[in-house]
Amino acid sequence: MSEKTKLLFVDDDPLFLAAQAAYFGARGFAVSTAEGTEEAIELLERERPDMILVDLMMEHSDSGFTLARRIRRDERLREVPLVMLSGVASATGSGFAGDQEALRSWSQLDEFIDKPVSAKQLLAVVERRLADRALSPKEE
Amino acid sequence: MGTAHLLVIDDEPGIRSGVREILCFEGYSVDVAASGREALELSAARPYDVVFIDYRLPDIDGLTLLQSIHQQRPSAMTCMITAYANIETAIAATRQGIDFFLPKPFTSEDLLGVVDTLLRHKKLRDEAELLRVAHEQSLRELASEKSQTHSLVASLRDGVLVVNRDGEIVLANRAMAELLGTDPTSLEGQSVRCALVDGALAPALSAFDPIDPGSAVFEVDVETRRLFVNVSGFRDGSGTLLGQIVTAVDISAVRRLALEKARFTRTLVHELRAPLGAVKSMIEVVRDKSLGGDLDPYLPFLARADQRLDGLADLVSDLLSLSRLDYEAAASAPNPRLDVAPIIAEVAELWRDRAAQIPVILSLDISEELPRPAIAEDDLRTILTNLLGNAIKYNRPNGSVTLCAQRTTEGLFIAVRDTGIGIAAESLPHLTDEFFREKRQQTRGIDGNGLGLAIVKRLVDRAGGRLEISSLLGQGSEFRLILHG
Repeated sequence: MSEKTKLLFVDDDPLFLAAQAAYFGARGFAVSTAEGTEEAIELLERERPDMILVDLMMEHSDSGFTLARRIRRDERLREVPLVMLSGVASATGSGFAGDQEALRSWSQLDEFIDKPVSAKQLLAVVERRLADRALSPKEE
Repeated sequence: MGTAHLLVIDDEPGIRSGVREILCFEGYSVDVAASGREALELSAARPYDVVFIDYRLPDIDGLTLLQSIHQQRPSAMTCMITAYANIETAIAATRQGIDFFLPKPFTSEDLLGVVDTLLRHKKLRDEAELLRVAHEQSLRELASEKSQTHSLVASLRDGVLVVNRDGEIVLANRAMAELLGTDPTSLEGQSVRCALVDGALAPALSAFDPIDPGSAVFEVDVETRRLFVNVSGFRDGSGTLLGQIVTAVDISAVRRLALEKARFTRTLVHELRAPLGAVKSMIEVVRDKSLGGDLDPYLPFLARADQRLDGLADLVSDLLSLSRLDYEAAASAPNPRLDVAPIIAEVAELWRDRAAQIPVILSLDISEELPRPAIAEDDLRTILTNLLGNAIKYNRPNGSVTLCAQRTTEGLFIAVRDTGIGIAAESLPHLTDEFFREKRQQTRGIDGNGLGLAIVKRLVDRAGGRLEISSLLGQGSEFRLILHG
């Protein structure tokens, strides 16, 4: 790959975004960040990332799902690997955890990851997802 | 029975003294009367067990006297003494309730035999009367106990249904009838299986097996309510099954609390994990030397990580305050009347630096002679710290914050006005909810955990005061605190 792989992180925590930008930036990725749903949508109109990582709980407790659904309905972004990060998924054994499968299929997520997650773990996920995508016959 | 009291009424002095002698000799207590009037006076004064009445008296005839004595002393046994007994007299006397006839002349054995018979009769009759009274009493008690149980059960807000061994409903209250879509009277007498089959309590049917009655416990949603239903058998002292009782308790409030608590925990976990995750990834960046070997590029990141940890520490102490408020719901001792002016000045001083950074002009307008409300000093300090802090943090550069304190008819009035970003109308009702924060472009980057106003609201409530909030988006907010002085 001659061009840098583009990652988009969407999270309402600026420190988390800054850390990911530094970590993945140092590994040769082109990292964009958005601090909320609106900013992400704006950015996605201009860019087509190779992978998107979205925080579940931003403006609302389910903002991440709404954004994911919107991305999946966009012809241009439909095939982009989409990973959801959440601090609440398995937190209490109720609520989101119970409906996780239903929500994942509704929002057509590729993967659900519990926060807090180390940058190293995230890197492994990113590399695996990108490798899957590269092998997929659908990929041009 | 002690000594029996006898009364002999006869106008013949010989009979009076003879009869008295015989009876006294046998140990009876005997009074004698020569006329009807004398007899009635004696009988009015004390009860007699047996009364002998001569049929022919000078003043009153025997039958009339008999009637009067029975009216006076219904429990007295009566015996008529007469030498002129004929069948008409006997029938008339029997109608008046005479117990025995003693024809003249009679022997002492005849007399004593009559007395003995009549006393035994009287004993039996008295015992029967005692039993009847006791029985009536217990019937009355039973009826009132039953009606007490009925009205007790009827007034319960929980549904109650009692079923006998034959599966027949013997008692149902209104709450239960409403659940089953009918009224209590039409339920009573009905088969429980028929009554339950189509309703919300159908899952209870399995407990009413005619051969093997059992128990059932389940929860069911009826419209907006969550009910806890319990079916269990009740037995007599020897363990024989008498019937079954169904109770349906509305646990909606408990469930709401549980859901609220779960939601609180979920939000809390998110609030705790977010800074932990951010700080952890920051540490990874440093260890990874993502920004090179020089330390300088990391310093701004480290400063922000430090801030996040401060926020985490604030969150933990706010949680502690909330939890303390939970178990200290009622203030233990009445608070002393507080001089508030120095506390206002002190809290304002703590915020001066932060105000200057934005910058926001912070001014105080405190009247002389403020009322002294009964509130704990720490509580007021926490309230003011939060209100002033919010007014400064959610302000705009070159804005202002005014704290005004004065006496009103209600007591102490404190208003904190700001020229800040304002609060959306739809957010106002949620402002004092735990963890509620307005997430907008303008609030981004402002530190806070959404617990401050929740704590303020509860402290104000605890002091018996009032918190009012009004705001215009883009223009500013006003928080008014009223504490009775």
